Amino acid sequence: MNWRTISRWAAIVGLLNLALMMRSQSPLADSTSRSIARGAPVEYLFPEQVTIAVGKASPVALHFRVASGFHINSHTPKEESLIPTAFSVPESSGVRLASASYPDGEDFILPLDPSTRLSVYTGEFTIQTRLVAEHGNHLVQASLHYQACDKSACYPPRTITVPIDVIGN
Amino acid sequence: MKRNTIVLGITLLLLALFAWAGWANWEYRKQAAEKRLASMEKAELVADSSAGAGDVPHFVSQLTSHPAPDFTLEDLNGKKVSLDSYKGKAVLINFWATWCGPCKIETPWLVELRNQYASKGFEILGLSADDLDLDDKAKLAEEKRDIAKFAQQQHMQYPVLINAGSLDKAYGGLDALPTSYFVDRSGKVVAATLGLTSKDDIEGNIRRALAE
Repeated sequence: MNWRTISRWAAIVGLLNLALMMRSQSPLADSTSRSIARGAPVEYLFPEQVTIAVGKASPVALHFRVASGFHINSHTPKEESLIPTAFSVPESSGVRLASASYPDGEDFILPLDPSTRLSVYTGEFTIQTRLVAEHGNHLVQASLHYQACDKSACYPPRTITVPIDVIGN
Repeated sequence: MKRNTIVLGITLLLLALFAWAGWANWEYRKQAAEKRLASMEKAELVADSSAGAGDVPHFVSQLTSHPAPDFTLEDLNGKKVSLDSYKGKAVLINFWATWCGPCKIETPWLVELRNQYASKGFEILGLSADDLDLDDKAKLAEEKRDIAKFAQQQHMQYPVLINAGSLDKAYGGLDALPTSYFVDRSGKVVAATLGLTSKDDIEGNIRRALAE
């Protein structure tokens, strides 16, 4: 067996291996149909970092985006059974939520029920908060609780993390 | 010559090792994918290429043509109710929640259709997917009251069962509501829908379950 034969075998085994590796990325890909991604319909946009005065309620505007085709209830839905969108800051995080002012919801009518008007957020929306920080750098894992729907179905209530680096000085 | 033989031997060994690693990797991933597929939800939303964002996706349930997974859940009075006890009847298993707007739209249709087809051996089981604080008696009682209030307001005269979230895996993830499974008299799922469809669609599926 000379080096040329060995190289040939090496190339064959290498290609076979590569083919197996590529196939292994999705061994059952052929048996499943494409599913619609149902990731989080709401995304926190910004700010990632804010600097505010220590011990003083300071305005911080938080920006979010609702994915296209979805809506979430506003902070003041029109029916008691609907879950309002709500922002919160965990206790003992070095930062306190003094107040939160939510935008008004926009009217939304389901095509199959024109008689019912919902109060929802779509696209981008902003919550105007007032935060009080202790001295230092606080990586706050705040939360946004919401419940999303599209035109025909609703998705279970979710809470997303809103990470904000709050510097109190 | 001896050196060449050693190099050749090592090269062949490495090639064999390389080939074996590829094969083992593929086998491992295949088994992992099979396990994942077996345990994951059995239902999928499949995009209709003609549909735009937010349009009703075509619902594909792997439960269709298979026996509906049996379950036993409590009703609002604490009485245990099992799907198995409805064998011989066509059953609509309807997953809903108090926070689900589209569920509220379809419920009056369900009530009407139940009244229309009950005499032919049709029943609806309304399964509330509202979260329950099972470890907190006071909260649980309050949550049950909310579900009962909603069921009463919606005139749900059929059995309303709670804690449907426990059927999450068996019934395909339940990641959107309303979700309905239409079960024939032998206990087999003949149709499934996700999201608000229409009263006509629901009636058509009830008739299929009744084999009309």
